[in-house]
Amino acid sequence: MEFLLNTVRKVDNDQAREFAFGDDTSLKEKLAIVFLNPEDITQLNVKPGSVVKIYHELGSINVKCSQDKNVPLKMAIMPVSIWSNQLTRVMNNELEYKNIAVKIEANNEPILDFKLLLQKIKEGSL
Amino acid sequence: MKRVPCSGCSLLCDDIIIRSDGIFIDEVVGACIKGKEHFDHVTAKNRIINPMFREENNLKKIDWNQGYNTAIELMRKAKKPLLYGFSTVSCEAQLKGIQLAEKINGHIDSNSSICHGKVIEKAKSVGLTLTSIGEVINKADLIILWGANAAESIPRLLNKALFSRGKFRMTGREIKTLIIIDPVQTASFGVMGVRDISLMIQPNKDIDLIRTLKEECCVADSIPTEGVAGLDKDDLKRLLLQLTGAEYGVIFAGQGLLKPSDDSTTLQEFLELIEMINSKQEKGRISLIMMGGHYNMTGFEHVALANYGQNGSLNFVNNQLEENKTNTIDKISKGDFDLSIIVGTDPISHLPANLSSKLMKHPIIVIDNKRSATSDVADLFLPSAITGIESGGLAYRLDHVPIELQKIINPPNNIPSDEEILNELLQRLTSGGP
Repeated sequence: MEFLLNTVRKVDNDQAREFAFGDDTSLKEKLAIVFLNPEDITQLNVKPGSVVKIYHELGSINVKCSQDKNVPLKMAIMPVSIWSNQLTRVMNNELEYKNIAVKIEANNEPILDFKLLLQKIKEGSL
Repeated sequence: MKRVPCSGCSLLCDDIIIRSDGIFIDEVVGACIKGKEHFDHVTAKNRIINPMFREENNLKKIDWNQGYNTAIELMRKAKKPLLYGFSTVSCEAQLKGIQLAEKINGHIDSNSSICHGKVIEKAKSVGLTLTSIGEVINKADLIILWGANAAESIPRLLNKALFSRGKFRMTGREIKTLIIIDPVQTASFGVMGVRDISLMIQPNKDIDLIRTLKEECCVADSIPTEGVAGLDKDDLKRLLLQLTGAEYGVIFAGQGLLKPSDDSTTLQEFLELIEMINSKQEKGRISLIMMGGHYNMTGFEHVALANYGQNGSLNFVNNQLEENKTNTIDKISKGDFDLSIIVGTDPISHLPANLSSKLMKHPIIVIDNKRSATSDVADLFLPSAITGIESGGLAYRLDHVPIELQKIINPPNNIPSDEEILNELLQRLTSGGP
């Protein structure tokens, strides 16, 4: 299904807090997440907490989905993090953090751990 | 008990009460969730309080002398160093950073260039009507959040702007109208009352709304005949009436309005709209405040402009400032650097993965007071004191008002401030050591 992805700051999903007070597990738990409208979650045939794959022609990432009725239909919201930035990109020599066209589908593959994700970024193997 | 400013975000609230014996902070009163957390960073369990150097793929503790010498060695080897960040350090540290860039022929930039610096660039040709938080508290009767979620990015902004009773406006929330223009129903919508206007605009349609408003604002008693950008004509009419009838309106512009698009004139036309409304206004005006999050993002623009006559990114060649032909994103995209010196920010988390990957191909020196994805991949990490808690200095609030930050306690391990670290590096480079 096609969505528009927006990366946002969320008080409850704050990377600075997790880096300071959490650990790699809480970092993944709080930040490798996408918020979708409950109707879209039903359409995707997944349940809240399931892993979904978000992708476009330049990148992809697996994250946990969570429902939020305040998110408009066909929109995906991710907290700013190293996971969401697998999908942000450079456009017209500026950074595109909002309204990025993506596709989302159910996926059984695991969510990448923080350290493994860092390693893959370093290798350019994502 | 002592009253201090909080450097937790760009609002720099100067009404925070703390109880401290000069060694520990025992109590923080009046701070928001972000502010309280900022003070908690002093004792954060993951805080790094020793210089670290990467050996055999692991960061290992070194002493300060080794740390400075390693940094000098890396800088001397580099031909095209990139200095980036500087939004969460004092103005004094920002100046040292620019002087360091001048010394090592580097390219220096702050987070502002990918955030609200873009507005300042456009304002050079269009103009900009700014205001201060004090003016907003005392006078505002219209508050617009455009692509901005104040409740979660700058939590006390609405307390001050919306719920306050001003000197010239003894009535408070009841006479203030809040308008939120956003495609997402953010947490900020939670404070809306019956007189407020919620405008759930379609994604990427801001330019359509701006153009319609520009057209309609030019005509007296104009009422749009049809809706635009997902907003119906009644909503448009209410928005127009508020924009042209407010005695003192302020627009808080967020990242949502700064997104790039194929049509890159959005910001320019947005600023033109404000100037146009003000030229038509008979009894009041509309002002703009950019909602940058980092507490001294605005400061870098002022420091660079005041000392070097140029804001945004600065590029030094032969120790001279040269006309800047590329921005930082362009430089990273093209791999046009061979060392990055990251100060008080986390580009590995903030930038798209392809840019992070390019940053990781060259040595990274990080100067910061907290752990981050960038510190995890750094070759050299120099920890710094937390400005506004463990060291003082000047910072510019989001409305361009300078606020003096205070030192409350000593940092652990006597960690130096960002300014002291950058100054030490400059001194050692100048003296020819190590």
